[in-house]
Amino acid sequence: MYEFPVVHIGGIGFDLSSIIAITVSFVITLVLALFAVRNLSVDNPSKLQNFMEWVVEFVHNTIASTMPLEKAKRYISLGMTLIMFIFISNLLGLPFGIVTEVSESHHGPVTVAGLEIASADEVEKAHEDGKHLAYAWWKSPTADLSVTAGLASIVFVLVHYLGLTQNTRHYLKHYFKPYPIFFPINILETLTKPLTLALRLFANIFAGEVLISTILLLGVFGIPLLGIWQGFSIFVGAIQAFLFTILTMVYISQATVHEEGH
Amino acid sequence: MDLLGAALAIGLGAIGAGVGNGLIVSKTVEGIARQPELRGALQTTMFIGVGIVEVVPIIGVVLGFLIFFAS
Repeated sequence: MYEFPVVHIGGIGFDLSSIIAITVSFVITLVLALFAVRNLSVDNPSKLQNFMEWVVEFVHNTIASTMPLEKAKRYISLGMTLIMFIFISNLLGLPFGIVTEVSESHHGPVTVAGLEIASADEVEKAHEDGKHLAYAWWKSPTADLSVTAGLASIVFVLVHYLGLTQNTRHYLKHYFKPYPIFFPINILETLTKPLTLALRLFANIFAGEVLISTILLLGVFGIPLLGIWQGFSIFVGAIQAFLFTILTMVYISQATVHEEGH
Repeated sequence: MDLLGAALAIGLGAIGAGVGNGLIVSKTVEGIARQPELRGALQTTMFIGVGIVEVVPIIGVVLGFLIFFAS
């Protein structure tokens, strides 16, 4: 199994492969969005403009299925950002991987630009056991719990801020519905929502990538299986991106929509 | 023992995911058979349901991998 190049600065570990992957994913999403809105035309839309209009309509319908139509417009950009970024991030780790190995003759710590990835003791220990220390430099950014937890934290802050500012009385009252004795259960529900959002996305994409490295151990005979698995992973990536977006919208609508029934 | 724990985590999670997903999809197929015009909405709800049901078994799979590769 591959290690990830983690650099410790000031006591916090920075995973270099995640940082590279997030940057690439962000650049691809930005370029895609910028190119789609160049030379907009009503009579003669380009294929990219057509595709992006379909995405906008899809996201709008998704949001409209959770909250009343006049509120749905405000969240289209949030929905589009989430679904495009997460889908492109999920696809990133599938086509190829970049792995570097520490050679047998290397003694002393493994460093990148002067910052240490593996200490000298770990290198010596790996060489004694006869194993190669291999570092993976490319993966899906969402295969890292820190990235998905970051996305889930954004959603968490957004949901509670919107609930507090737009719908204050009902948002605060819903913690005590249906009976005040449900308060600890409601608090637990509030805490587990972002937790499951982060863990769902991370576990799906991480499990897919681990299985890719396992299939690669088969060598040449694993190629058809790898093709099938990569196809399935594209499907899973799309489903998880859609699920993250629609659950975000459901949580926002639960916090902000003034329900008439109570 | 570690490997047995990892195998149990993944296997029991697979049973849960299989039974749960089977129930969801079978009810969806039944609903589509009764009212074919609701196919789009029922399919969307089915995917959301599958995503929610599969969270805990997939977390079990990731824990199984972590145990397996750490041992």
